[in-house]
Amino acid sequence: MRKSIILLLSSIAIINLFAQKRELVPQASICGQFHKKYCKLEKQKGEKWEYNSQSRSGLFSQGMTCRIRCVIYKGMDYRMTLCAETALGDKLNFKIYDSRTNELLFDNASADNTQVFEFQSASTRPIIIEVFVPEGATESGNSGLKSKEAACVGLLIEHKKTDIQGFTRY
Amino acid sequence: MKIKSILITTSSFLFTLFITSCSGDKTEEEIVNAKDTTQVSAEVQKESSGYEIFFQVPSPGEMLSFIKSVGKRDKSKISILNSTENINKYTDEKSKALNFGIYSTDLSYCSIFNLGSESIKYFKVVKQLGDQLGLSATIKPEILARIEKNIDNTDSLVVITDDLYYSSFETLEEGKQGNILALVVAGGWLESVYIAINMVDKFQKDNPVIQRIADQKYTLENLIEFLKKHEENSPDVKQVKADLEALMKSFNLLKEEKISDTSLKQEGVKKFIGGGISLVIDEKVFNEIKTKVLKLRNNYIQNQ
Repeated sequence: MRKSIILLLSSIAIINLFAQKRELVPQASICGQFHKKYCKLEKQKGEKWEYNSQSRSGLFSQGMTCRIRCVIYKGMDYRMTLCAETALGDKLNFKIYDSRTNELLFDNASADNTQVFEFQSASTRPIIIEVFVPEGATESGNSGLKSKEAACVGLLIEHKKTDIQGFTRY
Repeated sequence: MKIKSILITTSSFLFTLFITSCSGDKTEEEIVNAKDTTQVSAEVQKESSGYEIFFQVPSPGEMLSFIKSVGKRDKSKISILNSTENINKYTDEKSKALNFGIYSTDLSYCSIFNLGSESIKYFKVVKQLGDQLGLSATIKPEILARIEKNIDNTDSLVVITDDLYYSSFETLEEGKQGNILALVVAGGWLESVYIAINMVDKFQKDNPVIQRIADQKYTLENLIEFLKKHEENSPDVKQVKADLEALMKSFNLLKEEKISDTSLKQEGVKKFIGGGISLVIDEKVFNEIKTKVLKLRNNYIQNQ
């Protein structure tokens, strides 16, 4: 009897300790760093791509659109990689607009639905990246998700200084 | 006997509960399966009710790396940074958050410009303020050991300090501490512009650092929008937003030139997007921006 009480009290004490510890650790959002884990491309030798802090992950359901406003600088190369959990299919759409003029700069629908876009801009500009998950991208039976349920989408942005072309002066 | 059995069963149940809750990293499949449909619907509704826009602000480290990349390697001036001795002035939440951002940028500066021993000093103040802002679980004491171990390795130091900034950002974002995060981002951005301004000895139109300062107009636009999202119920964020809007008035004096080449070229896998607008800065506007940035940054570090 005494042993059991000690055992019970110990269990409660352990749970209390655990509960206190959990309070100090903020709950991670569902998708958190999805882009860092799953959108990374295999690194080629000598590549200098650096992580850009404007990258983001979010929770999407089919038919949903989200917009992210970023700044891209002249003289830099950028690589944007979009990736998602298989439940959302592999035909995610993303468009890039100049946020001042609303001019469409890129639409992956007109580039074989590529999920990777590498570019350089003639000017520094604020852009809007619009990410869209089409309806019916996968059969709900195959993915295990119903059409209105959601899954993670990541947008990884990387940058590097544009290589100087031509002869350089010493 | 009966009581004994009940107690043992209860203990076993509680122990099992503890073990289950403690399970570590989930697999991708588990993450998907664990999603609560109710919670998801709420988030989806919020998102789909009119294209919520997320305003992103590049990290201060990106500005500092740029300065170094355009040849300012010899310009490491430790005296321009916020003195670590000022930490005792930060007793309220606003000054703590703003100066957490400012000191984080200074820490990045020390890493990027290879000031290893100073990195330790700045890490300590970042940690001290971070603890007070509820970031003790993110800014772990082990990071100091990593900094000390890599004190002569600039690349590793940069990775460590970048990670520190990103993880602090993420913790505040995920912990729904948007008002603190907004102030941290504002402080970090302001310090990066302040450092950039201090790298300019003499105004020259074609100086890439000056052009990068002019281009901060767009980042400042995003930052103000970001602050707007968090100003509700936060007089501190509202105040900082007003300060930055006053600074924006000077950025609005920049002239704009249309870039004539609007072609879209393909260079291998890379596309070249032509067109856009070039921001043109003259000495008068540069000096006006400089004066405002210096004054605002001084107010924040002196906690005035």
